[in-house]
Amino acid sequence: MHVVVATDGSQQSLRAAKQLKSFADPTKITDISVIAVIRPLAAVAFADDLSPAASRKADLEAGGFRKAAESSVATVAAVFDGWGPKVHKKIRSGSPANEIIKAAGQLHAGLVVVAAGGRGISDVVLVGSTAQRVQHYAPCPVLVVRPSPKRPKK
Amino acid sequence: MAESSQTVMDDEADDGGLRRSITGKQLFFYTLGDVLGSGIYVLIGLVAAAVGGAFWIAFAVGVTIAAITGTAYAELVTKYPQAAGAALYVNKAFRNKVLTFLITICFLSASFAAAGALADGFSAYFATVWEGPPALLVTLGFIAVLTVINFIGITESVVINMVMAFIEIAGLAIVLFIAIWFIAQGNADFSVLVDFETEGDGIGDKGLAILAGVALSFFAMTGFENTANVAEETIEPHKNFPPALIGGMITAGVIYVLVSMAAALTVPTDTLAESEAALLEVVERGILPFVDTGTMSTLFSIIAMIAITNTTLVAVVTQPRILYGMANEDIVPGMFAKIHPTRRSPWVGLLFSAGVVAALLVVGTYAPRVEGSTLIERLSLVTVLFLLFIYSLVIISCLKLRGQDEDERTYHANTPLLFVGLVGNIAIFAWSVYDDPTSLIWCAGLVAVGVVLFLVEYFFGTQSRPPGVERGDPAAANEEGV
Repeated sequence: MHVVVATDGSQQSLRAAKQLKSFADPTKITDISVIAVIRPLAAVAFADDLSPAASRKADLEAGGFRKAAESSVATVAAVFDGWGPKVHKKIRSGSPANEIIKAAGQLHAGLVVVAAGGRGISDVVLVGSTAQRVQHYAPCPVLVVRPSPKRPKK
Repeated sequence: MAESSQTVMDDEADDGGLRRSITGKQLFFYTLGDVLGSGIYVLIGLVAAAVGGAFWIAFAVGVTIAAITGTAYAELVTKYPQAAGAALYVNKAFRNKVLTFLITICFLSASFAAAGALADGFSAYFATVWEGPPALLVTLGFIAVLTVINFIGITESVVINMVMAFIEIAGLAIVLFIAIWFIAQGNADFSVLVDFETEGDGIGDKGLAILAGVALSFFAMTGFENTANVAEETIEPHKNFPPALIGGMITAGVIYVLVSMAAALTVPTDTLAESEAALLEVVERGILPFVDTGTMSTLFSIIAMIAITNTTLVAVVTQPRILYGMANEDIVPGMFAKIHPTRRSPWVGLLFSAGVVAALLVVGTYAPRVEGSTLIERLSLVTVLFLLFIYSLVIISCLKLRGQDEDERTYHANTPLLFVGLVGNIAIFAWSVYDDPTSLIWCAGLVAVGVVLFLVEYFFGTQSRPPGVERGDPAAANEEGV
């Protein structure tokens, strides 16, 4: 089975990856694709909250949203180091939900793992979140990992 | 990474492992939509007032200089296809931290002033549909709504951008069609196209009148520099970026010149000059016999508002992005790097930017009028001053970086044209400062905002956090919390 693990650079997406690892059977998973989606027209096209601050310190020339995406993907991919399945790193660009769904189709994924925010006002009142859209339109089962209530929300 | 041999970074060949998404065509419409929305709907009356019936010449000169500046951007983007834009180029060329900081702050300030001017232009068209609320309330509401839209992130659809560009073109096509109808009826008096609002009749007087109009018409071309933001995500930027950017600008320029001729032919110049929503005057003449003028006017106002909204959105997206970049470099307080955990929007930067634009609008509304300048004229001139400074430095950087970081795919701007563009930028800058020194006070005020942010970070930024860790950093917060 091919599993798609999406990351938006948030801590929650790293938790989602760990959640998968905590219960899934690595012998049944052949490939894991860690996917980050850059949003070219957004104010911040990709924000990396996962790497240590020192390495994130963007200097004007080295910086760039692609770099941030690469380092987030690397951090999430590292969760599965030595676990068994072959890990692929992918960066796409466009609308996150669309790209995750497209990737799941192209890779014939058997499962998509996405992080979701809390049930805060911004997700209920405002236009649906990425996780919601993936859940609705993905061609395969979806694991939506919500923050557990015990953890302090950032 | 013990198992690192297992982990592969897929390349383009493998069904788009590192896929970029923006095509040349999309970039063309992004440029066109961004440029078209800004000036012509908002400023055509002011330009007409400054020059006279021949104000199309001011637009022609303005767009030419802007398009030349665009070639410098195109060259630099093909060399450095990153999202940073002018600040990156100037940094590469001069290696001077203060100058880079100044350019970044100027860019941010230009974006603030532009958003303010556009919001005011929006309120002018809004008033033609519903006259109820006062202009200041409309502008503040407009900025608030755009900030929320930006926070949600529904501005990110490339398809919506293309639709917006088509709507903008449709609005201007209406103006052109009315003019063609008018000409076909034999009512047009073409002598108005060479009519100048000058006291003297010498070439010098005419030149000055045009220069006055050019400064304002320049605002109509602003926005193109924001396309550098998406350079990183453009497919094959070497091939796609220069034709899309320059093509978009030239298309916008041709449309502008035609539209300003159309407006001059169909509406008396002084009516244009007095109107806040000048292009609407063309529609309200009721030249077309087969449509109801009232319905047409409302439709046109809505198109104009959509056009202005599109361009303002790009400005509102740019502001927190610049602040985010500076926060990551520890130039401004780290809170501007704060990203909303689920929405992934830089919400502190968004709120702050909206606050600055709102302050500009409030101050602009209640500040004493200098020489009768309206809020929109003031803010657009301030924008243009900042941008002319930036554009000049970008052209110089382009020339200075010749021979560096080049390969066979690098686009080469025409060198003599670049010099013409540089002289043009500097000439308009000098004239604008001479003509309206008050704008400099506004510029200083906006730069001061940036300097204050820098000083806050400089003096207070390193306290209460371990060395090497940014303020507002989640990791640091965790460490402190434990």
